[in-house]
Amino acid sequence: MPTILGELTGFEAKNNVYMSLHPVIKILVPLFFSLDVLLIKNIYSALILVLLVFATILFAGVPLRILKGFLILITSISIFIVLSFILFTNVPGNKLFEYTLLQVDAEKGTLVWRISLTDSALIKAGIFIFRILAMIFTATLFVATVSDRDIVWGLRDLHLPLGFSVAVSLFFRGISLFLEDFKIIREAMMSRGVDFEKTSLSKKFMLYVNALIPLVSLMINRSYEVSLALESKGISPWTKSKRHRKLALKRVDLAVFVLGFAQLLIFGVI
Amino acid sequence: MEIINVQDLYWQYYSSPDHVLKGISLSVEKGEFLAVTGPSGAGKTTLMLTLTGIIPQRLPGKFKGEVTVLGESTLSADLARLMQRVGVVFEDPEIQFVMGSVEDEVSLSLEPLDLSEDELRRRVNHALKIVGLDESFLPRNPLQLSGGEKQRVAIAAAIAKDPEILILDEPTSDLDPLGKEEVIQAVEKLRRETDLTIILVEQDPEIIQRFADRVVVLNNGKIVFDGEPSELYKNPEHLKRFSIYPPELYELSFKAGLNSPSYEKLLEMARSGNLNHDICKFYETRSEGKPKLQAVNITHVYPGGVKALENVNLAIGTGELVAFLGPNGSGKTTLAKILAGLLDPTEGKVLIDGKDLRSFNRLELASKVGYVYQNPQHQLFCQTVYEEVAFGLKLRGLPINEIEEKVEVALETFRLGHLRDEHPFFLSKGEKRRLALASVYALDPNILIVDEPTTGQDRVFSEQLFQLLRELAYKNKSVIVITHSVELAAKYADRLIILRKGRIIADGSPVDVLTNDAITRDAKLKTPLIAQLCKHGNKKS
Repeated sequence: MPTILGELTGFEAKNNVYMSLHPVIKILVPLFFSLDVLLIKNIYSALILVLLVFATILFAGVPLRILKGFLILITSISIFIVLSFILFTNVPGNKLFEYTLLQVDAEKGTLVWRISLTDSALIKAGIFIFRILAMIFTATLFVATVSDRDIVWGLRDLHLPLGFSVAVSLFFRGISLFLEDFKIIREAMMSRGVDFEKTSLSKKFMLYVNALIPLVSLMINRSYEVSLALESKGISPWTKSKRHRKLALKRVDLAVFVLGFAQLLIFGVI
Repeated sequence: MEIINVQDLYWQYYSSPDHVLKGISLSVEKGEFLAVTGPSGAGKTTLMLTLTGIIPQRLPGKFKGEVTVLGESTLSADLARLMQRVGVVFEDPEIQFVMGSVEDEVSLSLEPLDLSEDELRRRVNHALKIVGLDESFLPRNPLQLSGGEKQRVAIAAAIAKDPEILILDEPTSDLDPLGKEEVIQAVEKLRRETDLTIILVEQDPEIIQRFADRVVVLNNGKIVFDGEPSELYKNPEHLKRFSIYPPELYELSFKAGLNSPSYEKLLEMARSGNLNHDICKFYETRSEGKPKLQAVNITHVYPGGVKALENVNLAIGTGELVAFLGPNGSGKTTLAKILAGLLDPTEGKVLIDGKDLRSFNRLELASKVGYVYQNPQHQLFCQTVYEEVAFGLKLRGLPINEIEEKVEVALETFRLGHLRDEHPFFLSKGEKRRLALASVYALDPNILIVDEPTTGQDRVFSEQLFQLLRELAYKNKSVIVITHSVELAAKYADRLIILRKGRIIADGSPVDVLTNDAITRDAKLKTPLIAQLCKHGNKKS
């Protein structure tokens, strides 16, 4: 059964031990990491979390070339965060660098725009960047290791209604349909003469805004048709199934659960 | 015993200005095979939704009348319980799949039933067997199956719950001839092995004639005919009045002046050379001189290693209407996209007027080759019909008055003048298709590539569309159409190019290609009757 990432790109996690974990555990591990992101308080715990998620990704055998695709995004977000802290905030701390960009004397005082770099600002920026890194790694781990079936079976094992579980798995399938549609619409624009490589950024932005029209209309049509298909199968969001395909939890599942929960507690404390 | 009763039914969606169903009264007996036909937009799918109770219970609108299915009023019936007794298969095989494996998909509708694991497995396997699929399909992803297999999985999912009524809503309209035949065989087996009541919404008269006990024609929300298929198709007055095309045998028999449809008589006439000259009138290549478009040794391999095309060579002349035919996955769309410069071939090159396609920039290329997508919604991204047609012209920086003039011509050519200020989102399916064509036509490309323009459209619209493409060919445009409709390709194209497994296996006139048994067998194409007869008559004009 291909994972969500497998359906999108053809690449997915390769480690048999991780991939054969119980669906609930494969859903809970990324969920624990997501909660960690909220719990971290300092740069050290943030760094440990990034390393921990990265180690899990390596263990699960997620192809690193997938992460390569996020490098530009991560770099630009990091630069943006650091610049925001330097240019627009004044975080108290030991001043490492200071420079006055603009000083205007007015009747009611002096307006000053000063670049001020402190050690606390850098640490805060570092925590933000590590948080984003941890979130990207966690999302990658989730989509590279969880399939449609894992979501449906896993959520049902967590006693959620069948209809709701199916709807969640359809949401993830919707992402690949959305991307596929976007690719075709972009191609259709090219077939009418748009050259995305030579188009200015503002024009490109307007073209992408235009692309939202067919994207939204296709999304509405698809949602309507899928809901008809579900209704015709007698499934509504709150349909409960009497049958329960119970997969037994193995020792390794329990071990991973205990480890996951323990690290959640640790991050809550440190 | 009557199991469906519809009394004086009116239905209007809140979003539509008029009633979609207007005073429908209908009764269906147990075990009956009822076909519902009529032009696109006649209300066929809406009528089916009223039989499932989705209308009026789930969709907002104005409902009047009474619908009783299996003794329960659809106004008050518990939908989930009713749907356990009614199976539905929709037109698009892909959109109705909600699970990631065939096993999960077929067993999904069984989930609310209190079945043991063994019984569930038995029912899933039995349903798959009826539609001609074995257990090896269980772990496969339904989205990765062929069109015919997908639709058979959808039918299996509908019949696994052992329903009393099966509703099939245009189950073959999205399929290639092979997929269509697979679904037809599955329906045939269902007919033989079960006592299901089947309601089939269908445009194809051949299928209706072959299976249905009774046919209902819907037009503009009203039932305009209710009777036996032969009664409908042998009456030319009915056909004309309801804008319906008969099966090919009936059509050709009428044209040949026979009182009743007879294959033997037609064959006899063809052999003796007495077949009406107009019947065997095919278009022929009028192209002379240098080819307009050439593919030279094209090979294309997709990332992942799938070889879509292998050493394809072809030349298309000015004013030719060429149809690409072949099973799904044979490489038709890949070849078309390479010819339009939307995809770079792994090997080989494309020449336009003898010049390498890669030497043109995007704007120049779009002025030379126009590409119309299968789903028009993918290429309509402006706020009004006018803006949509003007989009490409504005990119070229043309003066306003010139843009106005070209847009007007395009809108008139495709009969969209009255909709110029309308938002494309609110157009009908047929209008969207015409707008997609108009927006490409306005750029005045000499080569036009149209991908499956008639999928899901009724025959009247499909004929109109092919006539339009024919007119464009007369205006010296080179037109390439990708289609599954062998009949329309035979009727309107100068040349048929047949692809299979990424190679061209035939390239020639419709009669020559379609009467070659080896080719039709290899490409899994059905030879139209007209081609069989005209081969005997050996007449061309």
